[in-house]
Amino acid sequence: MARDKAKEGDGNWKKFIWNSEKKEFLGRTGGSWFKILLFYLIFYGCLAGIFIGTIQVMLLTISEFEPKYQDRVAPPGLTVIPRVLKTEVSFSISDPKTYEEYVAGLNKFLENYDNDQQISDMVFDNCPDKPDDYINRGAFNNGQGQKKVCRFKRDWLENCSGMTDSSYGYKDGKPCVVVKLNRVLGFKPKPPLNDSLPPEMTGKYNPYVLPVRCFAKKAEDVDKIGTVEYYGMAGYAGFPLQYYPYYGKLLQPKYLQPLMAVQFTNLTYDTEVRVECKVYGENIHYSDKDRFQGRFEVKFDIKSS
Amino acid sequence: MGKKRSDIYSVEIHGTQDLEKTDKEDEEEKYKDLKGNKKKSKKTDDLKKELDLDDHKLSKEELEEKYTTSISKGLTSARAAEILARDGPNALTPPKSTPEIIKFLKQMVGGFSILLWVGALLCWIAFGIQVAQGVASAFDNLYLGVVLALVVILTGIFAYYQEAKSTNIMASFSKMIPQQALVIRDGEKKEVPAEQLVVGDMVEIKGGDRIPADIRLIFSQGCKVDNSSLTGESEPQSRSCDFTHENPLETKNIAFYSTTCLEGTATGMVISTGDHTIIGRIASLASGVGNEKTPIAIEIEHFVHIVAGVAVSIGVLFFIIAVSMKYKVLDSIIFLIGIIVANVPEGLLATVTVSLSLTAKRMAKKNCLVKNLEAVETLGSTSIICSDKTGTLTQNRMTVAHLWFDDQIYSADTSEEQTTQTFDQSSQSWAALSKIVTLCNRAEFKPGQENIPIMKRVVVGDASETALLKFAEVILGDVMGIRKRNRKLAEIPFNSTNKFQLSIHETEDPNDKRFLLVMKGAPERILERCSTIMINGEEQPLDRERAEAFQMAYMELGGLGERVLGFCHLYLPEDEFPDTYPFDTDSMNFPTSNLCFVGLLSMIDPPRSTVPDAVSKCRSAGIKVIMVTGDHPITAKAIAKSVGIISANSETVEDIAKRLNVPVEQVNKQDARAAVINGMELKDMTTEQLDEILLNHSEIVFARTSPQQKLIIVEGCQRQDAVVAVTGDGVNDSPALKKADIGIAMGIAGSDAAKNAADMILLDDNFASIVTGVEEGRLIFDNLKKTIAYTLTKNIAELCPFLIYIIASIPLPIGTITILFIDLGTDIIPSVALAYEKAESDIMSRRPRHKKKDRLVNEQLAVYSYLQIGILQSIGAFLAYFTVYAEQGWLPNTLLGLRVNWEDDYSNDIEDSYGQEWTRYQRTYLQWSGYTAFFVSITIQQVADLIIRKTRRNSLFQQGLLRNKVIWLGIFSQIAIALTLCYGLGSVTALNFTPLRVQYWFVAMPYAILIWVYDEIRKLFIRQYPGSWWDKNMYY
Repeated sequence: MARDKAKEGDGNWKKFIWNSEKKEFLGRTGGSWFKILLFYLIFYGCLAGIFIGTIQVMLLTISEFEPKYQDRVAPPGLTVIPRVLKTEVSFSISDPKTYEEYVAGLNKFLENYDNDQQISDMVFDNCPDKPDDYINRGAFNNGQGQKKVCRFKRDWLENCSGMTDSSYGYKDGKPCVVVKLNRVLGFKPKPPLNDSLPPEMTGKYNPYVLPVRCFAKKAEDVDKIGTVEYYGMAGYAGFPLQYYPYYGKLLQPKYLQPLMAVQFTNLTYDTEVRVECKVYGENIHYSDKDRFQGRFEVKFDIKSS
Repeated sequence: MGKKRSDIYSVEIHGTQDLEKTDKEDEEEKYKDLKGNKKKSKKTDDLKKELDLDDHKLSKEELEEKYTTSISKGLTSARAAEILARDGPNALTPPKSTPEIIKFLKQMVGGFSILLWVGALLCWIAFGIQVAQGVASAFDNLYLGVVLALVVILTGIFAYYQEAKSTNIMASFSKMIPQQALVIRDGEKKEVPAEQLVVGDMVEIKGGDRIPADIRLIFSQGCKVDNSSLTGESEPQSRSCDFTHENPLETKNIAFYSTTCLEGTATGMVISTGDHTIIGRIASLASGVGNEKTPIAIEIEHFVHIVAGVAVSIGVLFFIIAVSMKYKVLDSIIFLIGIIVANVPEGLLATVTVSLSLTAKRMAKKNCLVKNLEAVETLGSTSIICSDKTGTLTQNRMTVAHLWFDDQIYSADTSEEQTTQTFDQSSQSWAALSKIVTLCNRAEFKPGQENIPIMKRVVVGDASETALLKFAEVILGDVMGIRKRNRKLAEIPFNSTNKFQLSIHETEDPNDKRFLLVMKGAPERILERCSTIMINGEEQPLDRERAEAFQMAYMELGGLGERVLGFCHLYLPEDEFPDTYPFDTDSMNFPTSNLCFVGLLSMIDPPRSTVPDAVSKCRSAGIKVIMVTGDHPITAKAIAKSVGIISANSETVEDIAKRLNVPVEQVNKQDARAAVINGMELKDMTTEQLDEILLNHSEIVFARTSPQQKLIIVEGCQRQDAVVAVTGDGVNDSPALKKADIGIAMGIAGSDAAKNAADMILLDDNFASIVTGVEEGRLIFDNLKKTIAYTLTKNIAELCPFLIYIIASIPLPIGTITILFIDLGTDIIPSVALAYEKAESDIMSRRPRHKKKDRLVNEQLAVYSYLQIGILQSIGAFLAYFTVYAEQGWLPNTLLGLRVNWEDDYSNDIEDSYGQEWTRYQRTYLQWSGYTAFFVSITIQQVADLIIRKTRRNSLFQQGLLRNKVIWLGIFSQIAIALTLCYGLGSVTALNFTPLRVQYWFVAMPYAILIWVYDEIRKLFIRQYPGSWWDKNMYY
């Protein structure tokens, strides 16, 4: 019985794919397939039209110059360059290959800050050379055409600019990292009040600078971190305010966000040293969930041999 | 068992075995032949052949020797204990039940479970690999695997619990009060539990007892048993100690286990116990019959295959696509998991179970108790009902059906709740007849029942007398008072030699000093004793003509399958029988001939008043009703005609032959719509002949059938691809009940064996409840279609994101966990709510579905849900997804191909369309907002989906939006759950929900409306152009 049924089933299956009596393929004749495919062609055509239409309507409600909401992107993250995998900077002083990736990353990033990139006066503005107040460039639209942007000199980064030392200190075991505050359109970072800063930073306080500071993440690493050198505009270890607010990709295509560099000149070798860098500001927040908001962490593991 | 149907009169027109043997010379035989009913049908069939019992032939001494017992002293206790240890207790082995753990494990691997286990396993494999690779998000896969496993286990537990709950209802049924038996052991009478009876025990039984084992009677006094649960015969059978027939089933000196002793007393020797009894053998025959898979189980399996097939093929297809698009194998595996989870409607099987149990509950309220949840739907697809007669179609109590007086037949009301009789009661003859009916009757109401309706009162007396008593009480009222006023002076009770009952009364008229002699009994015997006949209150000579009129009436009533009684009376002349006349019933010092014939009364176990209507409803619902009974063909045919199983204008082959006056063989069988087939004929039939009968005749009655034959009939029906329902109450029905696609047992009259074998129990024993069952079954089938269509739709909206994610490399639009929240959260209550939907049209006027053609999930349903509404839903949800991303800074064109950067854990400065830089967590959080928006959009569109699924053909406005309140509860719950997830649990990161801006709830709204409008247009075209291309392709 069961066997018969199975056979019958097999027969039905084959017959279903191609029924030679009725000339049916998968249970439909050619004409029937044509009709149903035509139907779906029209149906999906209409759906595609409706979908594209609604997407267009939605896009009409959005300005091309500024995002409708910035629920997630602000407060900004703090990013370290070069990009480090698993937040670990690990290299051997004697072997250039182990750090060439970091050097290449820095080179590529700093290309835009080369002086020859900043020649045009049409694009670049002559902003003050020392930290100053926000520069307001009008409304977020192209009524006045593109907005100018401030120049940022690569050599302000001194030892970490790559201009004097093409290995950014890596070949000496004194690695540099460049720090930037993530771009957020229209965001005006507020420098911290003087008294809210850690005591060791109050000395270099400037009301127009968002200070950055790196320190050992763990208590046992405090001794291993050694000296930390900070480079930035006018020697300030932070981000000057005249670069803000950012007007977006469309209005400021050549925007250069302010940078600062950190060099660890006396790290303990052959051990892991965990460093955290933080930017301080009234509207800068830190979050347990987002460990790159307003700070970042990096682990140095430098092999002396 | 409450069956009291002893017949003192035994005016068997068709005769029973007992009468033939004991009263061979009896003249009624003639009459029997007259009816063309050849003697007693020989109930020879396999069961009886198998029986090698010869105890009935043995003498008492031989029996004593065989069972080493003593008739006077019984067994010794020690010996009894020995035999008990050898033979086991005197009880039927309960049907083997599957161990609970197996049942539970079955739930764990059935349906989609395997697919989900595979998903969970893949998750854990992915987790293992990722942990080894040190991927930060590895634990997500571990959790997902655990969640999937939990889903399987929880739905499994749920289904198991639902099953167990319905099984428990049954368990309470089978619990019986332990039966006691009066047994002689060690020379003393004692009560022992019937379970401890052993072969050789001497037991005493009396009226009202259930026979505790198969017993060879040694002594009997007026003992009668009701064998109906064994043979289906409604006539009580007398039992004596004499060996009367070779066949142990026919002989009078054996009483069978589980039958009831109606009256009298008897002592007998136990000759077999437990499973060795006749009943035990039938029961084991039943348990040998395999259980058929229910139609709905087949449909669900079919549906699971479709969905699993789609899931696996899309999964594998995209696995290959992903691998060839240079995705890592591990990522491809994770995609595969997502595709499986998106494709499998995790909550659906639980929903189906709930819907079925809701229907089961509703049916239980209407007196259909469903043992097996899946059987709920089976009735709906039933195309043939094989119904037992006694107790199912009939009321199972004798009732006066016709009267004949003044040369005229009157019909009496035989409904269950008669309060008056409407036939012409003005004639003097009726007054005389009613007096005889009232006075010549020994039955009495039990006292204290004045407030109970007459038909429900308990009566002491046999079935015929009870019928007459109630009949008289209904018409005359206060029968007991009338009897008191007409004091009874003498009485001759019924005995089988006389075949009459006689009593002499004073009259209530104080001026009339005459005594009244009243008599009733077998009509021909009564007529013999009469010389006059009462016509319109006048005594007239009983000439040839009158006698012929009597014969005509007698034959006509007999032809209706009714038991006929004759009534006559005589006023004794005052001068011959003065006040003080000493009536002596032994010497019969009063006239018993030359009486005045008054009339006939015929009784029948009438059909339940609801049955004819129910049968015609079944007819119009395309269900063939076949009567299968152990009773005599004439009675069966009469009842079949009166309930419409044989409709008024259809004829059997025999009828045609009679009408045309030609031999039966010459009649073209195709001309006869109806057929009455005797068990004897059936026995000689080949399978093909049976099939031919089942095919050619639409109205069939099988009479005198044995349990095996019932089984053969059911199998025959099933060969025609019919879904067969069998109703029955007796043990003899149980094999057929088991074999049937749905066995329906009677709750009140049904034997335990029948209830055990059945899938459904009619609590009120009412055939009409079956119609309710059919209706509910069809409704749930329709509604399950809607539920499945509803549930499948959103699977596409869950699947598309994955496919687009793989192909277009956009950030993932909806997460696996979120999908589970739709499948097992927002969608559950709405899909159950569809089970409450009312029928769209008269579901009872269409034919039952063809079990191989009308599938639960057909091509149209799958295609319409997947490729039309599902796609519409997907693009609606994608609109919301793109809106959320665009308004936060990621325009659609930026998203394409973004996936690798987007998911890079160490890139914290990914640029959006405006040049803003996003950290990983900011992106993830936005992704979750995307999930939430997608989720919310699906939910909103599922509301529209739910509303359109209310109907498949009718417009929503025809169906009424507010009729099904539960739907609104479903919508409310859906939105409430979504709100809770979004705003209440938005802060729990593991759930991947975020509090969404309020306007995103409305983004998909236009698509929800579009879904509704499109579906209304679809339905409009279906209604407007039935049979068109549109109808064929769009109606599911």
